[in-house]
Amino acid sequence: MMTVLRQVLQTFEQASAPLSLAQMARDLQVEPAILDDMIAYWVRKGKLREVTEAGCDSCGLKGDCCSPIVKLPRRYELAADDAPGKPPCCCG
Amino acid sequence: MTLTICLAGNPNAGKSTIFNALTGARQHVGNWPGKTVEKKEGRLSLSGHEVIIVDLPGTYSLSAFSAEEIITRDFILDAQPDAVVAVVDAANLERNLYLVLQLLEMHVPLVLALNMSDVAESRAIRIDRQTLSERLGGVPVIPMVGSRAIGLDALKAAMMRAATDHAAIPPLCLDLGAPVEQEIAGLLPLIEREATPYPPRWLAIKLLEADEDLLSKVPPALAQAAQQAADRISEETGEDADTLIADARYSCIGELVRGAVSRAAANPITVSDKLDRVLAHRVWGVVIFLALMWVVFQFTANVSAPLLDWIDGLFSGPVTRWTVAILGAFGLNGTWFESLLVDGVIGGVGGVLVFVPVLFALYFAIAVLEDSGYMARAAFVMDRFMQKLGLHGKSFLPMLVGFGCTVPGIYATRTLENPDDRKITGFLTTFMSCGARLPVYVVFGSAFFGAASGNLVFALYAIGIGVAVLTSLLLTRLVFKGKPAAPFVMELPPYRVPNPRTVALYIWGHTAEFLRRAGTVILAASVVIWLLLAIPVNGGQFARVNAGDSLFGAISRVIAPVFAPAGFGQWEAASSLMAGFVSKETIVSAMSQIYTNASDDLPAPQPLTDDARDIAVGLGEALVLTGQEIVNIVPRTVNVIPGMHMPEANLLNQPPDTGGDTALETALRAAFTPLTALAFNVFVLLYVPCLAAVAAMRQEFGTRWMGLQMAYTLVVAWLGAIVVYQAGLFLGIG
Ligand SMILES: Nc1nc2c(ncn2[C@@H]2O[C@H](COP(=O)(O)OP(=O)(O)O)[C@@H](O)[C@H]2O)c(=O)[nH]1
Repeated sequence: MMTVLRQVLQTFEQASAPLSLAQMARDLQVEPAILDDMIAYWVRKGKLREVTEAGCDSCGLKGDCCSPIVKLPRRYELAADDAPGKPPCCCG
Repeated sequence: MTLTICLAGNPNAGKSTIFNALTGARQHVGNWPGKTVEKKEGRLSLSGHEVIIVDLPGTYSLSAFSAEEIITRDFILDAQPDAVVAVVDAANLERNLYLVLQLLEMHVPLVLALNMSDVAESRAIRIDRQTLSERLGGVPVIPMVGSRAIGLDALKAAMMRAATDHAAIPPLCLDLGAPVEQEIAGLLPLIEREATPYPPRWLAIKLLEADEDLLSKVPPALAQAAQQAADRISEETGEDADTLIADARYSCIGELVRGAVSRAAANPITVSDKLDRVLAHRVWGVVIFLALMWVVFQFTANVSAPLLDWIDGLFSGPVTRWTVAILGAFGLNGTWFESLLVDGVIGGVGGVLVFVPVLFALYFAIAVLEDSGYMARAAFVMDRFMQKLGLHGKSFLPMLVGFGCTVPGIYATRTLENPDDRKITGFLTTFMSCGARLPVYVVFGSAFFGAASGNLVFALYAIGIGVAVLTSLLLTRLVFKGKPAAPFVMELPPYRVPNPRTVALYIWGHTAEFLRRAGTVILAASVVIWLLLAIPVNGGQFARVNAGDSLFGAISRVIAPVFAPAGFGQWEAASSLMAGFVSKETIVSAMSQIYTNASDDLPAPQPLTDDARDIAVGLGEALVLTGQEIVNIVPRTVNVIPGMHMPEANLLNQPPDTGGDTALETALRAAFTPLTALAFNVFVLLYVPCLAAVAAMRQEFGTRWMGLQMAYTLVVAWLGAIVVYQAGLFLGIG
């Protein structure tokens, strides 16, 4: 039998379109708060990653027109195996 | 006898509240040794016992992932409290039980304080305490409302009983499945032989979970044996041991609450969910997003128009007049310096500053959409749409950011993991129409399309998205043949009424940025443009030449024929576009210097009091008209539906569209036709965004890629403008 934790990961792998956390919780029939914990578990294991907003201010460079007009709430995605670690910082 | 009882629980479950209720003023606050985590201890006397209450840090789990978790765990293991009170949030029982299970695994005398019972009740969550207590092996379950001290006496009684009555605690038998249980059984003799201070089964589980803190504390032989056992488990099951163990806890929670907890609906459908059925719908979501954009641009273009005209009048009238008067006092009238100030600075920078109301309106609209929670849906819907088209999803966020400004849009591509995806998205982001392009559209819009100028703006934004989509198709098919990246899962926060303060701060932040740019980049560019326009090439006096005979004119004349197929082959257009490399607002500032010549057409002097009156009256009128435009959004939107005719408000009884043309608008009408204006704007939309964006591209993607992208945008812009113009001619427009 597949574990619920595994199902969480599989949902990410099989999704063909973006999903909302609420929808995913409904699909898997778990409490949204528990789903958060399960996702946090996979993030710790390095299978998922939280998509963090990288603006210029992420590394102290506040140049021209650097504040983005939208900030999105929490997002998660599969962490690619071949991911080149952290993206470069604009301060070099 | 002194007893030690500690409180454990998830953050925000109400631990501190209960701690305070128990101990009152008898508290001592310090830090945990060597940690920055606060340690609170209090005392109370209960039925002849002195009781020390320790408030442990809030945690969700007892692994070794955070200082809080390790402190909690070590305290329970080392200090061996007489009882542990697990404070749980009854409204969030399942999640809280994860910690409770781990406490039970540690085999401590436990009391469950079912806090926030009032909240649970208000959400129609009913908890059968009897059943829950039985399933937890007889752990007393005390319903509480900590904030109102309800249940406090029952809690005191229960925890004293647990602390003094050394009844055997039935170990919680969490079934971890045969493969794990087998390895635990294999590890237990080893653990017992090593005589560690930890409960044996608990330690075995933790070691299999690869708990680094404990692996480093136990003898190496044991650690090694545990690692080998964990390896065998993952070989056999294809799953890491810790995954199986965590999962067993989750299924155990499912078993514990089944039939013991009932709620109105497992995941109640909220108003936000209902709204999302439409707003985040696969098809309707896209339609609504486009419709909202249309409304936003109607709003932006029309609502800002009266104030725009007022500020324009301010610069061309009083400001110019006063400048000339002050210069006259120094005997500088008619000099090149006057031309620099009037044409270069007031014409150039002022020409851009008049658009502050436009940006203000745009940022207002976006702030409202953003703070209401809609923007997250827009990104969500558009991403899904792009994914369905076989395009690279996830790029919509940088693109959305690009609507504000391309530079942060390019930096936002860092949210993508894959370097190829980053490059593609960087490419697309430049086609998203940024705020700096808006002044250009609005000038042309109000010169040629009047009240329908919002449509022009919307059309241009939509063309931008269309070109981005096509480019993405092209790049994913031809250049990067990778599979599209897996989509993301996103939190969609509930919708809410926008907070005026947040909206105001947002508008101010972005408008201030625009003002700063006007005072720096645009000011510098305006002065350079003025200089280029002041240097004569065919003889003549500095700052006294016709724009066409200036250095700028001469250079532009060489380039201008390139644009002939697109219908705007005049040198004036070419030079404005060249200026646009610096930043897109500079196009407007260049146009106001090239197409109009303020110092040749100075406003007649008038007394200061008249000026003051004109300014005040003008502002009053502009504000009334702004209100009118806001009201008229409704009829204009309704009237789009065929067959509808809703009258528009006309407060000042003016004939439609007499907003008063600015000098630039009049000049542009002489130089362009509506069709060539459209082609020109398409070019402005699509070509290289600005120097800052080019620098950002270079920083992110390297010089080669930056060059490629510049070339691509130029070619696309040129072709786009030609297609628009020629198609227009073919269809007989223009
Ligand atoms: N409605 C309600 N609120 C509570 C209850 N217990 C605590 N609170 C409130 O919940 C919030 C978090 O409580 P706190 O004790 O700081 O949580 P801690 O993080 O576990 O220490 C505070 O605002 C408390 O006033 C309760 O039983 N019912």
